Amino acid sequence: MRRKSFVLIVLSIVSAVFLSVSMALAADPLKPTSKDKCPVCGMLVHPYTQWSAQIIFKDGTYAFFDGPKDMFKYYLDIPKYNKSKTSADISDIYVTEYYSTKVMKADGVTFVSGSDVMGPMGKELVAITNDKVKTFTSDHKGVKALKFSEVTDADIPDGHMHHMK
Amino acid sequence: MFIYSIIVATLTSLLFLTQSLKKEAMDVFIEAPELIVQRMSAGRHDLIPVGYAEKILSIPGVSSVEPRYWGYYYDNLTGGNYTLIARNIDALHMVKGTLPKGPGECAIGKGVADVRLTDLNDVLFLSINPQQKVSLKVVGIFTADSAILTNDLVVMDKNDLVNFFALPKDMATDLIVHVSNASEVPTIAMKIRRDYPDTRPITRSEIVRTYENVFNWRGGMALTMFIGPLLAFAIFAWDKATGMSAGERQEIGILKAIGWETTDVLKLKFWEGMAISLTSFLTGSILAYIHVFYFGAALFAPVLKGWSVLFPPFNPIPYIDLYQIFVIFFLTVIPYLASTIIPSWKAAVTDPDTVMRS
Repeated sequence: MRRKSFVLIVLSIVSAVFLSVSMALAADPLKPTSKDKCPVCGMLVHPYTQWSAQIIFKDGTYAFFDGPKDMFKYYLDIPKYNKSKTSADISDIYVTEYYSTKVMKADGVTFVSGSDVMGPMGKELVAITNDKVKTFTSDHKGVKALKFSEVTDADIPDGHMHHMK
Repeated sequence: MFIYSIIVATLTSLLFLTQSLKKEAMDVFIEAPELIVQRMSAGRHDLIPVGYAEKILSIPGVSSVEPRYWGYYYDNLTGGNYTLIARNIDALHMVKGTLPKGPGECAIGKGVADVRLTDLNDVLFLSINPQQKVSLKVVGIFTADSAILTNDLVVMDKNDLVNFFALPKDMATDLIVHVSNASEVPTIAMKIRRDYPDTRPITRSEIVRTYENVFNWRGGMALTMFIGPLLAFAIFAWDKATGMSAGERQEIGILKAIGWETTDVLKLKFWEGMAISLTSFLTGSILAYIHVFYFGAALFAPVLKGWSVLFPPFNPIPYIDLYQIFVIFFLTVIPYLASTIIPSWKAAVTDPDTVMRS
């Protein structure tokens, strides 16, 4: 009887420690302040609430982006923008979903390129919940639908805004 | 200089007034829903089946749909038109007392309270015919600050309103559609039209645009009326400034004769013109400000406001657009300066002897 309760107590302590560690690892999305700038293009992030994306590192530092496109540029070439970090340091990546304007995990949504929906920096990889990709593609002339891990350099639309061409 | 000030005052009042009206209306519409869906029948607004909401809600990007119940009521007693609306959640915070919590209660606008001489806890009786009548206990009165929105409003329970207007079951006046992402509004509006061809989705930007046009049009009407005085002013200023009197010319001649350079004369004339036009401009603007924001633009309001028994009391919010001030400034001060300097320059470059003899 005593042994049993001892085991139970140990188990509960272990699981509590484990839970709190794993909770510390998964960082909640942050809200951009009026000072946060996109490290890729230098734009202030907070006016574009329906586009903003973020990468949170394990040490608590973070980077905000004015749209998924710039987040991918950063993600696919971290040393260029942040010498002290590698992709192994990343804790979480969040993007803003198009239809709901809710912040969601980047690996849980689909990115659609080539659509007629313009972000703050022109053409975008628009983040869409998986069940609405079809609707979005047909409504907004989307070309390619990609999972987070499938996005490569070649899929990132060029940085020029339409009227700057 | 008096006329100068009056003209500036007129023009500036007009701009202040339209700007302030526009601002007030825009502030109201910022809070309007992104999309309102009305059903059309024979080209007119008709009741909409509440069932439409379900399919609209399934359109991606729509976060919520709610039916709205409202209507107009002509009050024989006072000759005023009231807007009766069933309570919905975003129904305004500026209320003395409370909003109706259930059947038999209502909250009314300041205008309604005034014409019906009702106060809190009094009873408001409305009737269309012996079958459609309702008496409601007044539990709230909207404050005056919200008058542009609430002046003619009677907020009541949904069931009271449905019974009073004898609305058919499952029909609403219109549907409000909330959309999370504003960029998706046109697509959603298009889909609603496609699914229900008998509806007319109205987007917030359309409402704002319509109101902007109305104000611009009315402002334009008033401006057209003032083109006459404006031209008269231009002629007056031109005449006054260019037709230099012999005395003035002689004065310049003397200044030249006692050793003033042309530049000195021009400087003097420039500062003189500047002093006159700036003083007039400032007096005019201040007059306009007082006229519009203290006296509620008593002179123009009838043209710009429209007409109704229950029109909201008119207290323009002081709001000044610097851009407009600059426009007026350049339209009045600069021409005046130019038309004083050029003739003095002409007089100053001629030989003083000739000037004095002529």
